[in-house]
Amino acid sequence: MVIDFSNFYDLSRELDRFFDETSRPLFFSQRRVAYPMVNVAEDDQNYYVDVNLPGVDPKEFELTLTDKNLVVKGERKPEEGRYYRRERLQGVFQRIVAMGAPVEREKVAAKFTDGVLHVTLPKSEAVKPRKIAIDN
Amino acid sequence: MSTDIAKKEASALPNYAPASDIVEMEDGFHILLDMPGVGREDLVIDLKENEVTISGRSAYAAPEGAKLLHQEFAAGDYSRTFALSDAVDREKIKAVLKNGVLNLYLPKAEELKPRRIEIVSE
Repeated sequence: MVIDFSNFYDLSRELDRFFDETSRPLFFSQRRVAYPMVNVAEDDQNYYVDVNLPGVDPKEFELTLTDKNLVVKGERKPEEGRYYRRERLQGVFQRIVAMGAPVEREKVAAKFTDGVLHVTLPKSEAVKPRKIAIDN
Repeated sequence: MSTDIAKKEASALPNYAPASDIVEMEDGFHILLDMPGVGREDLVIDLKENEVTISGRSAYAAPEGAKLLHQEFAAGDYSRTFALSDAVDREKIKAVLKNGVLNLYLPKAEELKPRRIEIVSE
């Protein structure tokens, strides 16, 4: 797997952080600069990955499900003109979300509304919680 | 009473100043604001004297019943105010919301556009 972090990242530090962070759940209080921002949720049936991608045309980013990761990749292009203020992040971005458990690859669905990408990844039957009958 | 409750709920959301770009293009000035999760109906633009205030609400929520494992963004109120110079033609300000970005178009006033001055010979 090739990890091409954008030029916003200090690669080695970011790699360390990436492996450190994907191994444990994070909470909102631990704010950091990541682009684009990602939320991950789960219930018994699905994983939900939401990505904040304001101003990115849905045609201009790629959503890939690899072996164990969900990869969002794309580019936010600057406007042509003279900038007086520039706060919005621009350039090439990539985020990798490690899926902790197998998902039904064929049934993954994605929706893009108001600059937020919603991805629903159904959990594999094998990992869904189920009740076990106890024989007397 | 219900309005009081609504007010309390409103203030419970965190306030964000949306990241913004100010760009001068050929047709005038553009203010671009990142407002992901804000729909058209949740957006208010107020023009008052020489200030324009943009406020919106992102009603982001994790799917019902789901537990958040990792969170980097949340619902919130966006609000930001910009002072307008006299070079802006207030009557023709336009706003377009697309893919979570508000593009506020501020055309230059007609009298400030470059123009050639006619010479009248006598």
